[in-house]
Amino acid sequence: MEKKIKTDNDEVKDIDLGDEQKIDRAIVPPPRRYQRRRQGQYVPDYVDWKDVDFLKRFIPEGGKILPRRISGVTAKDQRRVARAIKRARIMALIPYVSD
Amino acid sequence: MAEKRTYEVMYVVGAETADEDIAKLNETIEQIVDKEGGSIVKTEDMGRRKLAYPINKKTDGYYVLFEIEGSGQEIAELERRMRVNDAILRYLTVRVDEERKTADRFQAKRDKRHARRNTQNGNANESNASEDARDDQ
Repeated sequence: MEKKIKTDNDEVKDIDLGDEQKIDRAIVPPPRRYQRRRQGQYVPDYVDWKDVDFLKRFIPEGGKILPRRISGVTAKDQRRVARAIKRARIMALIPYVSD
Repeated sequence: MAEKRTYEVMYVVGAETADEDIAKLNETIEQIVDKEGGSIVKTEDMGRRKLAYPINKKTDGYYVLFEIEGSGQEIAELERRMRVNDAILRYLTVRVDEERKTADRFQAKRDKRHARRNTQNGNANESNASEDARDDQ
């Protein structure tokens, strides 16, 4: 978590050191800080696409899959969760969009 | 090729479908699987539930799940049949044996490590503890 934020800052710093500082500043938005949910993000070894209650934890109101920067799970787990959600969507267990 | 594969096959029919029609459908599926040399490990009737979005103007569906073991031929035949069946709103086949195997492997690894820790619980050394903390995440 720490590492990621650090690299974000580094990138911005690099750009700021450029010749045309003002223009770069106008184009590059400030790095966003995200509130991460790290606690209780246990992902089982086998992510079951039928386990709607579990998958719902990764789906906020709109129905989109929660991005990893917010869900806070490992890349591997995120892929498995995303795949399971997509399978569940096909079977109309989970909506593609809601509201 | 001779390896055995495990699949999960799920289908949804409209909730208004009569029970005997569903029973008939399940019977045909069993026959197909039988004929193609597979075997049904498990049948789970998930019952009626609300569809997350309307399909063919239907808002409720009846879900049935099969777990099938076989070569894959029976799956091909099943999917062909389900595709042409108008009553079936959606179907999905997922091959589960490989993912389950990796899950079991992880579990076995964890068990082993816990066993190892329990044998040397007298001298609780720090490196071991931190290793476990990392893996628990």
